[in-house]
Amino acid sequence: MSEEAQVLAPSSPPSDSPADDSRKTPRSLPPAAESPRRSSFSLLLRPLTVEKSRYDALTHGRKALLCVDDISVSFDGFKALNNLTLVLDEGELRCIIGPNGAGKTTLMDVITGKTKPDSGSVFLVGDATDLTHLSEHEIAQRGVCRKFQRPTVFQGHSVFENLELALPGEKGVFQSLFARLSGKQREAIERILETIGLTDQAATRAGLLSHGQKQWLEIGMLLAQEPRVLLVDEPVAGMTHQETERTAELLNSLAGERTVVVVEHDMEFVRSIAKTVTVLHEGSVLSEGSMDTVQNDPKVIEVYLGES
Amino acid sequence: MSAALTRLEPVLPKRGWAAFGAVALLSILLVPALNSLSPSSALHLPDYLVTLFGKFLCYATVAIAMDLLWGYAGILSLGHGVFFAIGGYAMGMCLMRAIGEAGVYRSKLPDFMVFLDWKELPWFWRPMDNFAFALVAALAVPGLLAYGFGFLAFRSRIRGVYFSIITQALTFAMMLLFFRNETGLGGNNGLTDFKQIYGYPLHAAGTKHALYMLSAAGLCAAFLICRFVTTSKAGRVLRSIRDQESRVMFLGYDPTRFKLFVYTLSAVICGFAGALYVPQVGIINPSELQPSNSIEMAIWVAVGGRGSLIGAPLGAFVVNGAKSWFTVALPNAWLYILGLLFVAVTLFFPRGLVGALSRIRK
Repeated sequence: MSEEAQVLAPSSPPSDSPADDSRKTPRSLPPAAESPRRSSFSLLLRPLTVEKSRYDALTHGRKALLCVDDISVSFDGFKALNNLTLVLDEGELRCIIGPNGAGKTTLMDVITGKTKPDSGSVFLVGDATDLTHLSEHEIAQRGVCRKFQRPTVFQGHSVFENLELALPGEKGVFQSLFARLSGKQREAIERILETIGLTDQAATRAGLLSHGQKQWLEIGMLLAQEPRVLLVDEPVAGMTHQETERTAELLNSLAGERTVVVVEHDMEFVRSIAKTVTVLHEGSVLSEGSMDTVQNDPKVIEVYLGES
Repeated sequence: MSAALTRLEPVLPKRGWAAFGAVALLSILLVPALNSLSPSSALHLPDYLVTLFGKFLCYATVAIAMDLLWGYAGILSLGHGVFFAIGGYAMGMCLMRAIGEAGVYRSKLPDFMVFLDWKELPWFWRPMDNFAFALVAALAVPGLLAYGFGFLAFRSRIRGVYFSIITQALTFAMMLLFFRNETGLGGNNGLTDFKQIYGYPLHAAGTKHALYMLSAAGLCAAFLICRFVTTSKAGRVLRSIRDQESRVMFLGYDPTRFKLFVYTLSAVICGFAGALYVPQVGIINPSELQPSNSIEMAIWVAVGGRGSLIGAPLGAFVVNGAKSWFTVALPNAWLYILGLLFVAVTLFFPRGLVGALSRIRK
């Protein structure tokens, strides 16, 4: 919240999209200097904020929250992402599918700051900062959280401590040294424990939990972070049918309050949760729309069945 | 639920405080008391043992600092001798100046400078006349060096073995630097022949007792500081960094800052231990900077038990006790014994003596 307030200084021009009166976060930006097309190697020369024209073009007329603008990434000449542009709306549940090597994981890496793109930008609406310049922890502090494919909880800590570490705020060294848990935070943790069904295991070391319980704990940690955007990487890999169903339910309930992005191979699962699906192919968006639209898109059919 | 702010984990449980107080008091008072008994008494402790135990206490303080870094944050520094030696040199410089004109050459300058035919005191020696300044330097210089070195290393995300290797290189480079006469710190011979500390003669029993008691109190303080860190939320973040660094980043913590903090704190504690070590042993020279010395520090921690603030000083006592005994009884065999001890502990007691003891108790 505070970042928005800082970036959107009172001098910013009035919003240019008329349809967004109801929205709390203003969408316009402080005017940024026109910058020339970015060359791929000049990360240092790229402006720290996104251009106003791009910002307006991408967010115009929709409840956008996270914009991925014209991102390209190459690894040793292989173009993992190729001028990819993607806009995620507030509160939506978006599934991203695509064949192996389509760039799904690279896209997640770019959004969360693990991989720096050669060109392009990523930004949250209400804030002109280009996230590609920030490090992982700074992006996480802005409310973009990620769940990895394999559950990664802190094995040596208790379930309760895992959740405590995930709570927002107080991430500095000295704040952490003198950190005390307020009654409110304790209640928040207890609420999450109830949601993920681990109240009885609160004092158990996370390393002793079952695979499914670890997944749930990790989802609990993500909830504790109070994310604005939640990126979920193959959530149902290795899950039983029952666990898959519960996960689908959970993801559906999470969307609405926050934007959820799911990268998944399991088409059955995608069908069961998705309203909007984005198909990636060779590093760019091939098709986007409802599951039915996408499945009947000849380009998609060709990629999935035709070529080989 | 109460609205009060609560620490998730107390620094020590109630019974722990009682035990800590008892051990602290005993460790501070017992040795000087036994030494003060009349020499005819069966319980009398000879003078040399007071100094030896005082030395062990300094080593134990280093072991705690090492353990905070290695056991809790998973950062193995094989160059902690640097910080210990710099703390020692800072104190040594002050003690050199305290000699005054009582040196061999009856000069105002330290003996080695007269020997090198230097006419005046180098600039960095001048403030060392002041005891308080020297004390601050003994803590601040290791801290600043660690901060600068750590900043570059951690920012570049150098981890694991690579970090261990460059810290080893650091201590080696420092050793070469301190060996040079031009560095102005006594070269090969280092600093020695100290006469008095803060006006008190170093050979007097009272001074020795005071230094011993300060070392014991310092060890207790280091224990409490490290315990405070490890039981705080920062301590939990450190352990999380050790186990899952990338996950910590995605929770919004900056691992670099946490590592830098703990590395610097660890260096400051080592500097403190070095400053107390030098007046007790009466000499500081570049051999303290040998890479093998820093490796030995890691062995103390491994033997005692990594990730246990009780195990680390215990390891320092056991290894150094064995060293004192074996270097007299079997001087040539000591390094083999040390190596064997290290291998045996890693193979059979991966959690060190403390781990072994707790297994026996069960």
